Amino acid sequence: MTLRNVPDMDVVSAKRSPWRNLSLVWLVPILALIVSMGVAWQSYNNKGTLITIVFKDAAGITPKDTTIRFRDVIIGAVEEVSFSKDMSNVVISARINKDVAATLSPDTLFWVVRPEVSARGISGLSTVLSGVYIDAAWIPIEGSTSRDFNGLSETPLIRPGHEGTRIKIRSKNGSSLTPGAPVFFRGMEVGRLDTPKLSETADSTDVEAFINAPYDKFLTTDTRFWNVSGFSVTLGAAGLNLNVASLGSLLTGGVAFENIISGGGPVTDKTIYRLFADEGAARDSIFTQLSANAVKMSVVFTESVSGLASGAPVEFRGLRIGQVSAIGAFVVKTPSGSTVNMRAVISIDPQTLGLDANATPETTRAFLDNLIADGVRARLSTTSIFSAALKIELADVPNPATARIEDDADGTPIIPSVPSQLPDFTATAQGVLERVNKLPIEDVMTQAISLMASIETIASSKGTQQAPAAILGLIEDARGLIGKDDTQALPGELLAVITDLRSIVSELKDRGLVDQLSSALTSLDKAAGDVATASGALPKLVEDLRAIATKVNDLKAEELIAAVTRVMDSADALITTDGVKSIPPALASALTEVQAALRDLRDGGAVENTNAALASAREAADAVALAAKSFPGMTSQLDAVISKADALIASYGAKSTFSSETLDLLRELKTAAQSVSKLARTIERNPNSLILGR
Amino acid sequence: MENAGSARTYLTARDAGLINCTTCGRVSSADETACARCGAALASRDTQSLQKVWAWWIAGIIAFVPANLYPMLKTATLGTETESTLLGGILELVHHGSLGIAAIVFFASIVIPASKFLAVAYLALSIGRPSRFTAHRRHQIYKVVEFVGRWSMIDVFVVAILTALVQLGSAASIHPGIAAVSFALSVAFTMLSAQSFDARLIWDADKEPHT
Repeated sequence: MTLRNVPDMDVVSAKRSPWRNLSLVWLVPILALIVSMGVAWQSYNNKGTLITIVFKDAAGITPKDTTIRFRDVIIGAVEEVSFSKDMSNVVISARINKDVAATLSPDTLFWVVRPEVSARGISGLSTVLSGVYIDAAWIPIEGSTSRDFNGLSETPLIRPGHEGTRIKIRSKNGSSLTPGAPVFFRGMEVGRLDTPKLSETADSTDVEAFINAPYDKFLTTDTRFWNVSGFSVTLGAAGLNLNVASLGSLLTGGVAFENIISGGGPVTDKTIYRLFADEGAARDSIFTQLSANAVKMSVVFTESVSGLASGAPVEFRGLRIGQVSAIGAFVVKTPSGSTVNMRAVISIDPQTLGLDANATPETTRAFLDNLIADGVRARLSTTSIFSAALKIELADVPNPATARIEDDADGTPIIPSVPSQLPDFTATAQGVLERVNKLPIEDVMTQAISLMASIETIASSKGTQQAPAAILGLIEDARGLIGKDDTQALPGELLAVITDLRSIVSELKDRGLVDQLSSALTSLDKAAGDVATASGALPKLVEDLRAIATKVNDLKAEELIAAVTRVMDSADALITTDGVKSIPPALASALTEVQAALRDLRDGGAVENTNAALASAREAADAVALAAKSFPGMTSQLDAVISKADALIASYGAKSTFSSETLDLLRELKTAAQSVSKLARTIERNPNSLILGR
Repeated sequence: MENAGSARTYLTARDAGLINCTTCGRVSSADETACARCGAALASRDTQSLQKVWAWWIAGIIAFVPANLYPMLKTATLGTETESTLLGGILELVHHGSLGIAAIVFFASIVIPASKFLAVAYLALSIGRPSRFTAHRRHQIYKVVEFVGRWSMIDVFVVAILTALVQLGSAASIHPGIAAVSFALSVAFTMLSAQSFDARLIWDADKEPHT
């Protein structure tokens, strides 16, 4: 049994047809091979395309570890860091995803992202732990073969592939523009500035800016850009104005833009925007911008053009019609030698004159010629009372000499000019204050006080008080001698004088002269305060004004009033004395005694009495005259003040509250002075009239 | 079984006209095709044994190549990712001074798999050829290979445990590389290769020169 089976179990028989008995297990190594090859191929495929990037230095870059990213997705890794042949640069070999590498454009930007702390914020913080990485940005292209690139030493501010518009801004001065400074549109940060560069001619600074989509659609050719660097402080009549755009822009500067006027075409590559110093200038530029067919003209001045600058406005009856484009001097030969005249070249926009926008220069010139025939002339004038800046104004001049537009040697039409009436504001204001300061107000007051004191002295002097008694005595003595109406009218005249005085004083009181003076000076002080806030250049002026105000406050006005009142009281007392009151009845009843007196006169001896009475009256009158002597002096001083003030006010010209108040004040002073003067003259001319009533 | 060096004649089951069931160990007569106890198919010798051995062996070799070339571990620490291959890891251990561990890893990951390949290849080749070693010696080699094969998985276990333990988010994390899978496959393939080997062939090969 065993032997029978042996041949069947021969192992060798299995080897006879090895292919037929092939085991399925062979599939395993084949499968393993396929898988391994697949893995190998895949890893080879994943290795990516080798590219080289040249950097100045390789700070932080480590082979294998440093990744290359695009839009924060890892697209490759650094393989090797080596030097360029001349050892001046670092060459980084990196493997990039094959698919990505096929889109690399030749101007792909590579830069190393490091932690960065700047005024604009902190960036790249993640690299503190993970180490630096290389960021890339490009605009994908098809089938790229570029493999060698130059790396940037700094993070680019504007990356390719970002949607938006790149524009160019031209500025006179790039000092306030820093790379990466924000661009604002209505307070929103919508873009970034690139690094400022000098223009080709080096007369301005050009900076490229990138406005992110979708804000770039707000850009038109009429868009205005202005500087919002840091903060701006404006000192004006409205006070102190502090303007800060944002904390970031405070440190790095920035620009803002806005479409101040509608219209304007789409932005092109060649659009270069002008950067204005501030928003105000940008807004004003709407009016300063001249149309394409502005007419070039010139104006010749024989006077100084200090304060007239290029860009200064040219106005016609207050409306801006153009601007000064250049100022120069030229020599004119005259029979007496040669003089230097100033010439301002101006550009006039026909549109602002109401002409058609496409008006030819000839039309504009003809129009201006008509104006000049009607008496319009060019002249310099100040732009504002606080400014020394000048503008050229085309104004109607009364009775001008005949003139017309003539061409100069260059063929530029010359608009005839007239000398300007330029009040130098600073000098004028200083002068006003100096004059006000010089007003002998204190002297006037002192004199008025002493006058009143004198009057009081007279009124209260024994002689004066005795005068009624003396008169009574005299009249009683001369009953028969004096019986005329004039004598009877004497108390009335005295009363009138007193009334005059009273009215002066009440005028002083009622009109609140002193108050007005004080309030006028307060308003002057306020005005000075305004001036002070408006301009730091006038501190002395302000000091003067303050000093005046203080002086006015210190004036002994109350004392004056009190003295006058005292005089009035004395005068009242004088009038109301029984003696004076009893004069008319005494006169009436004295007729009989007059007769007696006449009888006595006849008898002799009464003449001496009369003489004595008259002498005493003269004495009193002399005292009055002495007092009145100071009147003319005061009056003339007041007159001088008034004439000065008149001249001052005339020179000041403007119908401001200040001047009208001052004028009122001075007029009142004048009236008062005239009344006093009149009284004084009357007394002086005829001291006896005080007593005699004539 | 003792006296491995001497070429003694001994009776095999095949010589006695018997078949041993490899599943349950029952001895049947040579003309039976199925085991009377467990019903498994009976064959005196596995005719496809060598084929299978070589197929698994080649698969194991193929898998062993990427296991050594590709990274075994991917360690990510704070964003930086390091990959280490088998040999790289061993060298790193040596650098760090852990010579003992390096030796164990080297032994388990390089020496044992490599020697297994050599042993299995030798055994397979020695069938039907005169051999320097006696049948007993070769049988002992086979036993050792079969026993040691599973310990090669120690590397794979280390990777598996590390991967499971070190998952600390961005601070540190470990992922198995392609090599881990390849190595596990390679070990499995060599074990299968060793298992496919029909040790009874050794006796036949040993006997032939004597008969």
